[in-house]
Amino acid sequence: MKNRIRFGIREKIVTGYVVIIVCLIVAILAVNNQLETMQKERNFIINHDITVRDLTSQIEKDLLKMETGQRGYVITGDENYLQPYNEARAQWYKDFEKLNELMADNPKQQRDISAINQNIEKWIGVAAEPSIKLRQQNDSEGIQRFFKEDPGKKEIEQVLQQFDSFRDDEKALTEKRAEKLNEQNNYLDIGLYSLLAFVIITSFTLAYFISGSIIKTIRAVVGTIRAMATGGDLTERIHVKSNDEIRDLGEATNELLDTFEDRDWLQRSVTDVVSKNQGIASVENLAETVLSSVAQMTQSSLGAFYIREGKDSSAVFVKKASFAGSADDIGRNSFILGQGMIGQCALEKRLHVISKIEDDYELISSGLGEVKPRSILIAPVLHEDEVIAVIELASLKEYSKLQLNFIKEVVETFGMTINRVIDRMEISRLLTESQAMTEELQAQSEELQTQSEELQMQSEELQMINEQLESRSHEAEEKSKDLEIAKQELEEKAKQLTLGSKYKSEFLANMSHELRTPLNSILILSEMLAENGSQSLSEEDKEFARVIHSSGQDLLNLINDILDLSKVEAGKLEVMLSEVNMSEFPASLERNFAHVANQKGIDFKIHSDHDVPVLFQTDEKRFQQIVKNLLSNAFKFTEKGSVSVSIKKVASGMKHAGIDYWLELSITDTGIGIPKDKHDLIFEAFQQADGATIRKFGGTGLGLSISSEFTKLLGGHLKLDSEEGKGSTFTLILPSITDESFAAETFQGAYAEAAVALETPVQEIGTSEQPAAIEMPAAYEPQDSEGSVFYGKTVLITDDDNRNIFALRTALEQKGMKILTANNGIECLEVLDNKKGIDLILMDIMMPEMDGYDTMKRIRAQHEFKEIPIIALTAKAMKNDREKCLEAGASDYISKPLKLEQLFSCMHVWMQSK
Amino acid sequence: MMDQWKLEEEETSYKEKLEMDLLLEGLYRVSGFDFREYMQSSVHRRIKNRMQLEHIPTITRVLEKVLHDPAFMTKILNDLSINVTEMFRDPEFFKVFRERVIPMLRDYPEIRIWHAGCATGEEAYSMAILMEEEGLSHKTRLYATDMNEAVLMKASKGIFPLTKMRNYTKNYMQAGGTQAFSEYYTADGQFAYLKPSILKQISFAQHNLVTDHSFNEFHVILCRNVLIYFTVGLQNKVHDLFYESLSPKGFLGLGDKESMQFADCAEKYNDFAECVKIYQKK
Repeated sequence: MKNRIRFGIREKIVTGYVVIIVCLIVAILAVNNQLETMQKERNFIINHDITVRDLTSQIEKDLLKMETGQRGYVITGDENYLQPYNEARAQWYKDFEKLNELMADNPKQQRDISAINQNIEKWIGVAAEPSIKLRQQNDSEGIQRFFKEDPGKKEIEQVLQQFDSFRDDEKALTEKRAEKLNEQNNYLDIGLYSLLAFVIITSFTLAYFISGSIIKTIRAVVGTIRAMATGGDLTERIHVKSNDEIRDLGEATNELLDTFEDRDWLQRSVTDVVSKNQGIASVENLAETVLSSVAQMTQSSLGAFYIREGKDSSAVFVKKASFAGSADDIGRNSFILGQGMIGQCALEKRLHVISKIEDDYELISSGLGEVKPRSILIAPVLHEDEVIAVIELASLKEYSKLQLNFIKEVVETFGMTINRVIDRMEISRLLTESQAMTEELQAQSEELQTQSEELQMQSEELQMINEQLESRSHEAEEKSKDLEIAKQELEEKAKQLTLGSKYKSEFLANMSHELRTPLNSILILSEMLAENGSQSLSEEDKEFARVIHSSGQDLLNLINDILDLSKVEAGKLEVMLSEVNMSEFPASLERNFAHVANQKGIDFKIHSDHDVPVLFQTDEKRFQQIVKNLLSNAFKFTEKGSVSVSIKKVASGMKHAGIDYWLELSITDTGIGIPKDKHDLIFEAFQQADGATIRKFGGTGLGLSISSEFTKLLGGHLKLDSEEGKGSTFTLILPSITDESFAAETFQGAYAEAAVALETPVQEIGTSEQPAAIEMPAAYEPQDSEGSVFYGKTVLITDDDNRNIFALRTALEQKGMKILTANNGIECLEVLDNKKGIDLILMDIMMPEMDGYDTMKRIRAQHEFKEIPIIALTAKAMKNDREKCLEAGASDYISKPLKLEQLFSCMHVWMQSK
Repeated sequence: MMDQWKLEEEETSYKEKLEMDLLLEGLYRVSGFDFREYMQSSVHRRIKNRMQLEHIPTITRVLEKVLHDPAFMTKILNDLSINVTEMFRDPEFFKVFRERVIPMLRDYPEIRIWHAGCATGEEAYSMAILMEEEGLSHKTRLYATDMNEAVLMKASKGIFPLTKMRNYTKNYMQAGGTQAFSEYYTADGQFAYLKPSILKQISFAQHNLVTDHSFNEFHVILCRNVLIYFTVGLQNKVHDLFYESLSPKGFLGLGDKESMQFADCAEKYNDFAECVKIYQKK
């Protein structure tokens, strides 16, 4: 474009003016020329005509002069007259020559002139010369004659006539010429006007085109600029076809626009990046976003973003984001200050651009792996003069200045953004933490509430049980009085019975003793017989004796048992405390029963826990008896399998004065077992599971009774766990008694406590710990005991309408409540002051003297009545009323007309003792 | 010395964590109740509490009992489901609900409300009372769900101990009740029984927020003081479930101490009444 011929505005305007001036000059010259021609013409006309006229007049004059001279001379003969003639005669010809010359262009006039010439010549020849000669000769006759004849007259007259006609012709000619001149003048006028018009038109046309060409481009430029200003499209450029100052202006504007566009791009890109950063809450996202936008805007192919973690010397820059065309992961994961190019850059806090990369350049230290880009850019992000992040970009092109500026701008603002995001993350983390803690607290408080509710439930249950117990005890008390008498009677009878029983037992005891004495003889003698010391008995006799002996033995055992039992029952048996060596005890058991086990082919195992104390204080004899009884039973009822004994010390609980520890001894067999319904029965005297058992296994059935009685005697407990067909376990729990002043009753009490803990520990805990959620519906079975809640409670009814009072009184009294009444607030306060123990107040609102609101406020103002339940009775009314009630201190409110059920429900809520 | 001690402590806590994980895994497999994403601290405390009560020395033993003793498993499940609730709990919530949310629901042809984690139903009944007072009960369907069926059984009865009724009365009043609270129950010496007209408004159903899906579209979802037991991950899952189950412009009510602020879906809701944690789906 530049090489096009430049044609500026100045040139355009000058050209215009030049054209106009040239036109003007041409016009002036033309006109001038025309004028000159016309002047010549006119001069010619003037000169020619005048000369012709002068010459003709001169010739005519000369002619007349000659005539006059000739005539004078002739007449007078005076020579003086000849002089004018001669002069005229010389002049005449000269003039004629001149005239002829002038008439050269006109042949007709020439002809006329020559005719005149001839006539003059003729006159001279005919008249003048001869006459003069005559005079000179003094020929008077000839002169007379001559005058008479006058030969030249006709020529003179002719010449004069000819001159006249000539002059007429000449005049006509002159007129003709003047006319022609006029015509030319007219043409000149027209020409002048035409020229003027031409110049005007040319000027206007030129002005139009030149101004047009200037304005058009200016307009185009203005239009473009305006379009850019309004449309904001800065990519638009001004295109000027002309090669002038406007073009310069356009190009300058374009340059300006380029700058602006660059700046705009820069600004927009920076804003873009910055705006993208907004609302980002995590550094990773931020890094990702920034890196990808920066990389895209700088047309980088690779990029990595490192953010500082840790402070000062421990600061490590960790990669948070990477931007890579195809590679999955690029760059090193972290670096420290001064490590490699990137570390160095971070250390120097300066933007680095590496544009000349050697072929063998190793990019390891740049953090970008093995890529060999054209240009690498490392930009540290500063905040408060510390590098907090580093961006590294690599491009396959050189980075333009604009891109570098862009990076600089981004990096400048970015420090703050990162810091803000980090702060925000921290805040967010703290907030989240605090939220979590709040929730945790809430959860904890709810758990606590649950726990306290559980506890409350338990205590409620306990309280319920207590209450029930209490009420029962109340009832019992009532009845107990009635019972007292019956009891005394019974006691009397019981005493008699006991006495009877004692007598019976004593009798039995004595009987047994008495029985034993003869039985002894029988036993001893039968034994002696059986041993057949004298060899006098046959085998059969010996067998008989043995039978007698063994039957006697059985009988003795039976009698012993009966004796023991009756002794226990009669209270005659005494406890003899002694020490049992528990380390030897298993061995003694083993000794006693091993042979039975062997005989029946049953396993017999004894296990003693190692923590069983060596010494066990009890009545050894009774203890042994119990164990033996149980073991005998076990072996008796077991036909195959095993019998095992397990001895251990009971771990926990049951401390009691005088008791050192408790021993648990369980005997388990795999015998026939005992049906559940017979469990209690078998401890009764003379009882076995069923008749068939006796028949099959023999025995008196007293063993267990005795064991059980002995156990009680020793302060212990015997329990049975058995299932029919699967065997039984007898568990003996006995205390090691340290206190000499031992009484079975005391230990019965101790046992009761122990049993609770021992027998059903799991169950016990289970029921008490059952979560409320499940247990509650069952536990809280609604009680139809309204009477009891309201019974004896005192209610103060405050109402100005006696009918209401009456109705309420009747209803409440039916429930067993005591009723106090007040007809207005003042009375109500009086009643409250005077009577104590009011449980609830029913308060009407609309009352004379002092209404319900005031009354309640007064009541609440007194400290002792802060908590007393007040149920306000409002007319079916406005929300406002209810709010006033609450403000005044009502516990609850009920709308009139009252529904008794609702009233009672409400009273239930508020009378429920807390 | 200190280090040693610290190390041991760490090891113990690591083991306890492992035990706890196993227990929860076992519990999940055997019962279908998933507590694995519950707040470990809370679960831990509850289990510890149970261990203390039953003298169980290790968590592994608890697992053993859970696996072999169905009754004990039930007990543990009940321990882990915390059922703290009361009628008109946080009265301000109900007040704001009445004053600001109800006007927006009034013109709906049908109003479906889901009370997730209703425990013993007190709050669901409160809502039923509120809807009745606002004259909307005829077109309101209240669904109250909980994962604990025993609790639901109890909830469906609508029987509450008298001792609590005083507090409920106070709450009711503060929540802007327009009637006398005693209109809604009858009482005997021990219990207050909600009126059948209130009971019949609510459908109780078993639903586990952790494992179950959405079952309808609701205009209001209340889930108050439930999410506090969940980890953030689970909270977000449950939030997704709620979002899915809410109709456009539906309301979500959370507990006093809970907040939408940190949930993933926070931006999908407007803070309708942030003070009482009522949010509106955008």
